[in-house]
Amino acid sequence: MKLLLMHRVVLTSVGNKDFAAEDIQRTVSKAIDLIKPNFEKAATVVIKPNLSYYWDYSTGETTDPRVVSAIIDYVRSNVSSDVRIVVAEADASAMKTKYAFKMLGYENLSRQKKVDLINLSEGNVVNKEVYVKNEKLTLAVNKLLLDADMIINVPKLKYSRTVGVTCALKNMFGAISTPRKFVYHENKTLFNVIIGINKIIKSDLILVDGIIALGDYPRKMGLVISGEDPLATDLVAARIMGYDPSEINYLKLGQEEEGTFQVNLLEDGVKLSEVRRNFPKQNFLLQKISWRLQLSMLRTYARVVGDTVPPILDESRD
Amino acid sequence: MLKVGVIGLGRMGKLHFLNAMRIAGVHVTGVADKSETNLKVAKKLSVKTYYDYKDLINKEKLDAVVISLPNHLKRLGITHAVENNLDVFVDKPLGRNVAETKDIVHEVETQGTQLMVGVNYRHIDSVQKLKSDLEEGKIGDVVLSTAELIMDGPFSHSITPRPVPEWWLSKETAGGGALLDLGYHLIDIFHWMFGDVQPICCTLAFRFGLPVEDNATVIVRSRKTSTRGVVNAGWFSRMIFPNFNFRVNLHGTFGYECTDQFAPKNLYLHSVKEGTFNFLRKIAGKEIHHLSYTYYYASFYKVLKLFFEAVNKGLDVPVSLEGQVETVNAIENAYKQHEAAAYA
Repeated sequence: MKLLLMHRVVLTSVGNKDFAAEDIQRTVSKAIDLIKPNFEKAATVVIKPNLSYYWDYSTGETTDPRVVSAIIDYVRSNVSSDVRIVVAEADASAMKTKYAFKMLGYENLSRQKKVDLINLSEGNVVNKEVYVKNEKLTLAVNKLLLDADMIINVPKLKYSRTVGVTCALKNMFGAISTPRKFVYHENKTLFNVIIGINKIIKSDLILVDGIIALGDYPRKMGLVISGEDPLATDLVAARIMGYDPSEINYLKLGQEEEGTFQVNLLEDGVKLSEVRRNFPKQNFLLQKISWRLQLSMLRTYARVVGDTVPPILDESRD
Repeated sequence: MLKVGVIGLGRMGKLHFLNAMRIAGVHVTGVADKSETNLKVAKKLSVKTYYDYKDLINKEKLDAVVISLPNHLKRLGITHAVENNLDVFVDKPLGRNVAETKDIVHEVETQGTQLMVGVNYRHIDSVQKLKSDLEEGKIGDVVLSTAELIMDGPFSHSITPRPVPEWWLSKETAGGGALLDLGYHLIDIFHWMFGDVQPICCTLAFRFGLPVEDNATVIVRSRKTSTRGVVNAGWFSRMIFPNFNFRVNLHGTFGYECTDQFAPKNLYLHSVKEGTFNFLRKIAGKEIHHLSYTYYYASFYKVLKLFFEAVNKGLDVPVSLEGQVETVNAIENAYKQHEAAAYA
């Protein structure tokens, strides 16, 4: 008899809206304890936060460094003080990691906790091949991620116009070494690339910073979600954000690729049904068509009347 | 016909270029930029392109140039232009500090050419309305003026994402942060409204941990009118167009006025209305109101047009260099106060 694979996901709450560092630390620690990850052979631990741009955690855009700080403390005190801990992020189309580390408080964290900060777009980058839906993808990946004993994926809980839910799977998309990942957004391969990179880089532990989440605006939710599988964690995250996971394209694709499994949700003092919120439900394709239509009308107006379209609205023309 | 060159085709340079192409009496004969990508916009409009502005100035017989270079490259560009007897329109700030600004002014005055700083915020409709009401005495003597401009500064996202140019994030190349970038407009407006600007005190803050400040509060006063001003400038706010966090408040002895009272409440409706009016103006053979549908960007067109009109007619440009030196002085004073406090 074949046993059904089961992935644990734990939902915990910081408990108040002050979000003090000690409350975050206690919550993160509990979230890890309840997942019971295997730290046995973890000599090098890579923590991958979501530092997609320069707006800090208060905007809901990027991972709160206090969550990462709590993880570092946990590893040092519960595993070993000798574990090499690296906080890693790759450059993005508009973001340079060296500024993100500085502006988002990670340089301070690195000094205080004596951890390394690594730019995944630099150093030993290799091309890895992966198949998703029988399509071969070649993705640039830093060797650090391939050689790490343990990868802790620390995404932000947020809404994205392009994919709907941005959480654990999409956070690893940010780990692709190629800075101009924007090109993947422009074509149909985005969903495949998200799933593909997660096949190449396996997250061993997921700790979602849902303390301040991002919808149309930042939302104080006070949540930390932990999981042992990124897809299972994202399925729970999608439900918290009020989405039907079957309507999120890459989650559907992930389930097709990963096969059947069951999510074992542990609600620690907080119920999913109580924290569930309605995040924006916008169709990216419709939005894109609507924007293109507006821009085309604007260009027509400018041409007919002899007016100008400001470059900030029309840079895609270059 | 005024023969004009545009130096620097970054985001602002491109806007100036497109605006200059629409201004009557102006012929843009060439542009210069090191970036092939930036030059595309000119090539599409069949305007000659150069990688080096010295070639542009040497090869085209220009009357004037529009300079839109990073702050640390501006002085060299201005010097080269005025040495070649060209009138110059340049983005703010005129200089990164008082010494550089005074040097630029000295070079311009020595050569006897004209230089105008593109202080476009003066030409936003709601600011113009405040200025005219102030001059009419509608709110009495203004005792206190507060102004704020808080947005995303160099961190604004374009449609096609690109990294923030690094010169913005260094004190050496930029000269300063949010205060020199955005606060400059507010201090310039204060100077323009009340005749002079004297710094009193300031606080700078560095939430982003960069070498340049991302927010600042400066208190200034006018000797002429005794008006005090509080200026708040910031780069820290994630903002998406058409959101626009800018206002000037005038608190007078006979009432109060704020730019918000005269700005469009709904920019989308405003755009449709202005676009329709422009269409009708076009049909009636009248001059359209360029970029009025965007409200904010129209000010860039207006200030550039004023420069070309003055140059074409041989008149003095309507922005005094002395005022620009005072504005930079108020900002430099704020930086010095901050440094002094840090070392105290």
